[in-house]
Amino acid sequence: MRIFENANYDLIGSRKIGYIISGVLLIVSLFSLVFNGLELGIDFRGGMEFIVELDEVHSATEIRSVLADVLDQEPEVKTFGSPNDLLIRTADTREMREVQALIVATIEQAFPGSNPEILKTDIVGPRFAKDLQQGAIYSILGSLLVIFVYILIRFEWRFGVGAVAALFHDVLITLGVFSLLRFIVPFSLQVDQTIIAAFLTIVGYSLNDTVVVFDRIREYTGLFKAEKYATVVNRSVNNTLSRTVITSGTTLIVVLILFIFGGEVLRGFAFALMVGIVIGTYSSVFVASPVVLALRQRTI
Amino acid sequence: MAGTKRVSIMQKNGFKIFLVAFFFVLTAYYLYPTIQWYFINSNLNSMTAEERSEYESENAAKINSVRERSLKLGLDLQGGMHATLEIRVDALIRALAVDTDDIFEEVLAEAQAAAFDSDVSAIDAFVNAFEERDPNALLSRYFRNEAAGITRRSSNDEVAAYLRTEADEAVLRAIEIIRDRVDRYGVTEPAIQRQGSRRVVVELPGVDDEERVRGLLRGTARLEFRLMAEPTDLTRALQRMIEFYETSEPDSVDADSLGNAAAEPDTTFDINALLEGDNAGSGNEFLDVFQPIGQGVIFGSAAVQDTARVNALLRRPGAKELLPPGVELMYTASPVGTTSDGREIFYLLGVRDTEEITGEVVTDARVEFDPFTNVPEVSMTMNSEGARTWARLTGANVGKSVAVVLDGVVYSYPVIQERISGGRTNITGLDSREEASDIVTVLKSGALPAPVEIVQERTVGPSLGARSIRSGLNSVLLGLVLVALFMMFYYRTGGAVANLALVLNLIFILGILSGFQATLTLPGIAGIVLTIGMAVDANVLIFERIREEQSTGKTLKAAIEGGYGKALSAIFDANITTFFVGVILYSFGLGPIQGFAVTLMAGILSSMFTAIVFTRIIFDYMIAERRMTVSFG
Repeated sequence: MRIFENANYDLIGSRKIGYIISGVLLIVSLFSLVFNGLELGIDFRGGMEFIVELDEVHSATEIRSVLADVLDQEPEVKTFGSPNDLLIRTADTREMREVQALIVATIEQAFPGSNPEILKTDIVGPRFAKDLQQGAIYSILGSLLVIFVYILIRFEWRFGVGAVAALFHDVLITLGVFSLLRFIVPFSLQVDQTIIAAFLTIVGYSLNDTVVVFDRIREYTGLFKAEKYATVVNRSVNNTLSRTVITSGTTLIVVLILFIFGGEVLRGFAFALMVGIVIGTYSSVFVASPVVLALRQRTI
Repeated sequence: MAGTKRVSIMQKNGFKIFLVAFFFVLTAYYLYPTIQWYFINSNLNSMTAEERSEYESENAAKINSVRERSLKLGLDLQGGMHATLEIRVDALIRALAVDTDDIFEEVLAEAQAAAFDSDVSAIDAFVNAFEERDPNALLSRYFRNEAAGITRRSSNDEVAAYLRTEADEAVLRAIEIIRDRVDRYGVTEPAIQRQGSRRVVVELPGVDDEERVRGLLRGTARLEFRLMAEPTDLTRALQRMIEFYETSEPDSVDADSLGNAAAEPDTTFDINALLEGDNAGSGNEFLDVFQPIGQGVIFGSAAVQDTARVNALLRRPGAKELLPPGVELMYTASPVGTTSDGREIFYLLGVRDTEEITGEVVTDARVEFDPFTNVPEVSMTMNSEGARTWARLTGANVGKSVAVVLDGVVYSYPVIQERISGGRTNITGLDSREEASDIVTVLKSGALPAPVEIVQERTVGPSLGARSIRSGLNSVLLGLVLVALFMMFYYRTGGAVANLALVLNLIFILGILSGFQATLTLPGIAGIVLTIGMAVDANVLIFERIREEQSTGKTLKAAIEGGYGKALSAIFDANITTFFVGVILYSFGLGPIQGFAVTLMAGILSSMFTAIVFTRIIFDYMIAERRMTVSFG
C-alpha cells in the first residue's frame, strides 16, 4: 500500500488558504491567551499541592466546601484520573505539615470511611517558582536561537526564518489550544515544567518535518535549475508528503497511547504533544516552505 | 562462489557489524546488573520476612553492588522525597556582623525585599541598599574580622568579596553537614547536589517520614544552655501583659495574626476545656489565644495553631517592653497536653536571652534510656572548657532552672540539684527514640553555618510511583506493538527489518541510560514512548527514498544504495536539531525533565545508528548473501 504516491497537489499554489487558516488560528490563540489566560502549574506559581486517595467516591465540590472552612483561602479541588483520587491545591501560608494534617483530618471527619491517604505532596516557594519560570523562558528562547543558528549554518538565512516562523506558529497555537480548552476538557491543562518540555519537543519535532522538506528543496534547487522556484518548492513538498504523514502518524499513535494509558501525570504532556504534532506537520507544509518562497521571491 | 561472496560482504560490512556487536555487548554489560537486580527483587519478594532478612544479610555486598550498578528509577517512579534547600544568606550576613544597629537591620530588610524581586544576589542587594543609604559609609564597621583581613578601613568591595566567600563556604559546609545527617539517618542512595550559588538539591528515595527528614535537613542544631527568668519578674510581666490587652484597641492590620485568626475561628474553647479559667469572649484578644499560668518559669500556654498569633501579640510595640529586661519567651519542644479536639498545647517559658554554653563544646552525644522510666534521652559529653563552665554555672545556680534550648525551642528546663562536674549532661523531655537519635545526628554533624529554608519539596508515595511505572510500561509496549504492526503492514519486509532495529534501539536506549548512570523518570518513559514513534522516521525516510529510486527503474540493490545515500542528509539535519533541544532541556530543566531530555538524546543517537547502520547490514545480507527479494511495500 502506498499513500501520496506521485503526489502532485498544488500545495504551494493554495498557500493563501494556509495563510488564512494559520492567521485565524493565531488570532484565536492570541485572543484566548489574553482573555482566557493559561493555568500555571505549581512549578511556576508556587503553593502547595496534594494528591489524596479516598476509599470512597466524593465529588470535588463536596471536598472543596469542607476544606474551604479550614484553609486560608478556598482551595482548588479536582479529580485526578480515577474518581477516588483528588488533587487539592492551596496557597495556604502555613507550614506544609500543618496543612497536610489539617486536610486529612478534615476529610476524615466530614466523610468517615473515606480513609484519605496522601499519594503525593508538592510545595514550591514563591521565589523558587519565579526561578523556574525564568528557566523555562531561557530554555525556550535558547532552543529557538540554537535552531535558528543551526539552520543558518546548514541552509541559507531564508530557511532559518521559515523554520523559526513555523516554530513560533506551532508553539503559539498549541498554547492557544491549552488556553482555549482549559475550562472545557476533563483533564488538567496546567502549564508546568513537563509541559515546557513538551513544547520544546514540539519545537524539535516540527523542525524535524520542516528540515526534511528544506533538505529536499535544497536538493531540487540544484537539480531543476530551469524550473520556477515555486514549482521546485511544490515538488519538494509533494515528494516528501508521504514521509511527513507517515512519521507524524506513527508518532501520533504513540502519543495517543501515552494520552490514554500513560496515566494522569502525563496526560497534559501527551495532549500538548498531540496538538503540537498535528500543528507541526501542517506548518512544515503550509508555513515553513511558503515563507521561504515568499522571502526568495521578494529578494529576486 | 558462496564462499567468495561471504568474504566480500564481511569485508564490506565488517566494521559496521563490529560496531553493532560492540554496542550490543556494551549494552548487555551495562544492563546485566539491572536484570540481576530484577531477579534478586522478585526472589526477595517471594520469601518470607525471615528468609528475606537472612538472605539480605548473607548477600549484603552483592545486593549493594548490583543495586548500585542497576538502572536508577527516579523518585517519581520509586517514591521518595525531593527537596531544594536554600541557605538563608540574610541570616548568614547577620551572623557575621558585629555591633549591629537599627540601620543594619533596616538595610538587611530592604536587601531581602530587593533580592526577592530581582535577580541580584542577597549580598549584592545588601551592599547596594547600604550604599544607597549613604554612599560614603563603610560596611567594614559591621564586619571587622582580622582573620579575614577586614579592618575598619576595608572598602565595601572588599567586604562584599569577604561576604561572598563566606556564603560560598557556608553552602559547601552545609552540603557536607546535610550529607552527614542523611547518611546517619540511613537512606539508600541519597543524592545531594549543589544547584546554583546558594541552593542544595536533596533526593531521598524511599523516604516515608517527611516531617522527620524536614527537621533533619533544616535543623541548625544550635544547642544552648540558658538560665531562666526570675519567677516573680515573670508573673508581674504576665499581669501587665493581660492588662495591656484589656485596654488596648484590637489591631486590625496585623497580617500575621489575621490569617490564623480567620482560619481558626473556634479554637478558644479548646484551651478552656483543658485548662482552668474562662477568658474566652472576654474581649481580651491576648487571652483569646493564650492561657496565662505564671507559675515558676512558665509564662503560659497556647495551642499550636495559635502560636503565630501569640507571637505577634507579644511582639507588638508596647507589649514587647513589658517583659523583664534580658528575658525572652520560648516554647517547649514537645506538647504539654492536647485540647479536647486533639490539638497540641505548648508552654511558653521565660528564658534569659544570653546563652551560657553552646553546642560547640559537645564532643560526643548518644541516645540513652532512663533506667527507671525507659524514656529516651540524649547524653552529651563536653570538652574541658565546656565542663568548667558547666560546673561553674550549675554550682552558682543550685535550686534554679536551666533551659536546654535547641534551635530556639526548650527541650527541658530541669532544676539544678547540685554542682555538676565532669562535663556530662542529658537532654530530656524527648518524645521518642527517633527524636533522640535525630538530635544526636544533628549534634554530631555539627551546626549548619546558616539556617536553611526548604524552597521546594516533592514527595511521591510508593503506590503512585508503582502506578506510574505500570502505566508507563503499558504505554511503551502498546506503542511498540502498534507501530511495529503498521510498519510491517506498510513496508512489508522492509518494515520487519525496521522493527528489528526498533527493538534493538530500545535495548540500546536502556543501555545508554545505565552506562551514563542516568535516572529513569516518568517523563523519561514518555521520552522512550515518543522515541518509538520517532525512531522509525529515519527508516521511513530511507524506505520512501528507496521506493522513489525503484520507481525510476533501478535494481533493488541500486535502489537501496541510492535510498540510503540520499536520505542521509535529511536524517542527519532533522535529528541533530532535536538533539540540541534535548541538550537545552537538560541544562535548564530539573530532575524529571532532565530524565526526559536524556532519553530523548539517547533515543536520537541510538535510533540513527540502528536505522542507518543496522538495517543496512540486514538488507545487504538478505540481498547479497541470501539472494532474497526484499519488498518495500
